[in-house]
Amino acid sequence: MTESNPLSPMKARITEIQQMTDIEKLIKLRFQNKTDASNFKYMPGQFIKLGVMGVGEAPISICTSQSDEPGLELCIRNAGRVTKALHNLNVGNTIWIRGPYGNGFPMEAIEGKDLLLVAGGLGIAPIRGVLQYALHHRELFGEISFLYGVRCYDLMLFKDEILDYFRHGDEKGVKLYLSYEDESDKVCYDLSCERDDRCTQGMVTKLFSMLDSKSNNSVSLIGGPPIMYKFTVRELEKMGFQPDEVYMTLERRMRCGVGQCGHCIVGTGKSIKYVCKDGPVFTLWDAMNTKGMI
Amino acid sequence: MTESLYKVITKEELSQFGYALRETGTIYAPVKTSKESHSFKQVDTLTEADLEYHRTMIPPKKFFISPKETIFTFNKEKEEYNETPAVNEPLVLFGVHPCDINALNLLAKVYLESFADKYYSERRENTTIIGISCTPDEYCFCKSTGTDYAREGFELFLHDIGDRYLVRVGSLKGYNLLQKHASLFREVTEKDLSLYRQAEKKRLASFTKSLEMSGLQDMLDMSYNSPIWEEYGEKCLSCGSCNLVCPRCRCYDVQDYIDLNLNTGQRERKWYSCMLKEHGLVAGGHNFRATSAERLRNRVNCKGSLKEDMTNCVGCGRCSVYCPAGIDYVEILQKIRGDIE
Repeated sequence: MTESNPLSPMKARITEIQQMTDIEKLIKLRFQNKTDASNFKYMPGQFIKLGVMGVGEAPISICTSQSDEPGLELCIRNAGRVTKALHNLNVGNTIWIRGPYGNGFPMEAIEGKDLLLVAGGLGIAPIRGVLQYALHHRELFGEISFLYGVRCYDLMLFKDEILDYFRHGDEKGVKLYLSYEDESDKVCYDLSCERDDRCTQGMVTKLFSMLDSKSNNSVSLIGGPPIMYKFTVRELEKMGFQPDEVYMTLERRMRCGVGQCGHCIVGTGKSIKYVCKDGPVFTLWDAMNTKGMI
Repeated sequence: MTESLYKVITKEELSQFGYALRETGTIYAPVKTSKESHSFKQVDTLTEADLEYHRTMIPPKKFFISPKETIFTFNKEKEEYNETPAVNEPLVLFGVHPCDINALNLLAKVYLESFADKYYSERRENTTIIGISCTPDEYCFCKSTGTDYAREGFELFLHDIGDRYLVRVGSLKGYNLLQKHASLFREVTEKDLSLYRQAEKKRLASFTKSLEMSGLQDMLDMSYNSPIWEEYGEKCLSCGSCNLVCPRCRCYDVQDYIDLNLNTGQRERKWYSCMLKEHGLVAGGHNFRATSAERLRNRVNCKGSLKEDMTNCVGCGRCSVYCPAGIDYVEILQKIRGDIE
């Protein structure tokens, strides 16, 4: 990104591709220009615009936390025109990036607090970055609980990591809870037998009954499909979370990423927000003030 | 410096000034293009312009955000792209109304704050804006939106006070322009000031359309589920004309066009419309504003929202004048307020 034109992308190359599910790939990339690489500073919850020349750009959330390792990881679902083109690329191919954009999760502001992370489906991408950040700075945070809801084992993202947290998370500082929707799912059923206090069949909201009661110093960070927010928020309110203690990341059509093109606009005359610039992370209080957000 | 920032120029001398402005840049002024339509067009002399116009169909935003422009050209094989340089032609926009000047000020907030757009900033820098006072017609409600007067965002502003204009200086660039053509301007006399007061009084008294703005934002918020959106959504053609003619609408789309060789091409930015069905569509097929009622509600709320002390609507009346379905924006808000049934 040059300062003169926010729509100009940076060149990057694909260094690794992992097929995670039938429709999702984890693409690792590296900036071609050293200055771009060293200038690229981001927080969990921020997103980039990922482009293929001749096809276009798509907003993709960053699923890692900034570390010393060069490069970037993106979990990409084959869902539209651009992401389909991205899925057809190979290691070594060039890809174009703008960003990072958006506010991200306020990791510094929530230091010292217990974290309740809730993710559903592809919403795990930004939440994974939050978890990495928190584990990387483990001493800065209190208890970390992570609720992850999947439809079935085949659609579970970051399987190895999730299973590792499921079995050994307590030693690493995170309690992982898993829910699965598909009753006939054998692998998930086995997991629920393995730890019936950590895994159950049902929606992600079913996991709340497994949690200890809310400490007076906790926040919740959630990522998932729009429908998940309504039900999750209800559970969080029941637990006693205040509207400014719940952070959620929203998905909209973010064409420009810089608060200009208008596609991601949400709200009423009382409060109009650009999801790309004012968000994509909002508190529940923001959502209460901005109709149509969730 | 004790030089006054208020001057007077006679109507006769204004044409000389207009002639002299050709040194400053290519002059665009409102020209009558049909019985009921005006357009900002290139003119050689001000005699071609109609300075008593009510509104142009396309607002002056077209000079700053091009309806369609190439951001860069690319070459896939070479893995490179070349940014399109900003055009540097100096322009003079002569005869811009206060509503449009205020709308440009709002656009500048979008395009120049946080992520500065080089096309917008260079074009604004290369443009000399000369505003002019106007008389409202039956669609104008800029007095209600507080945008009937331009406080900033222009080089010079001309107030018609009979056989002469009272001139306000709005920028250093405008001041220098005035200095350069000093012989055409003279100091303001008591008589001029009195004429200016009378002209303003007359202008302010001539508004026929009005909209109470106080508390409107909360009323809009509480009317989120009102049947009014369905009522007007049914009339709305989702054509996007209101967006094209709005001086504050600035939604754009970005698209790639690839040449037949499948290697070179360009990325283009073009005006877009929140009334079109695809505006809220995301990958995977979910549309956040799938119905015309939802899109109409979004547009009216966007316009009615506040950007600091100003609404995103400047009361120019264009969306009502040019709506092919005859939807009156002010009427919707009067219903939201309960001022009319």
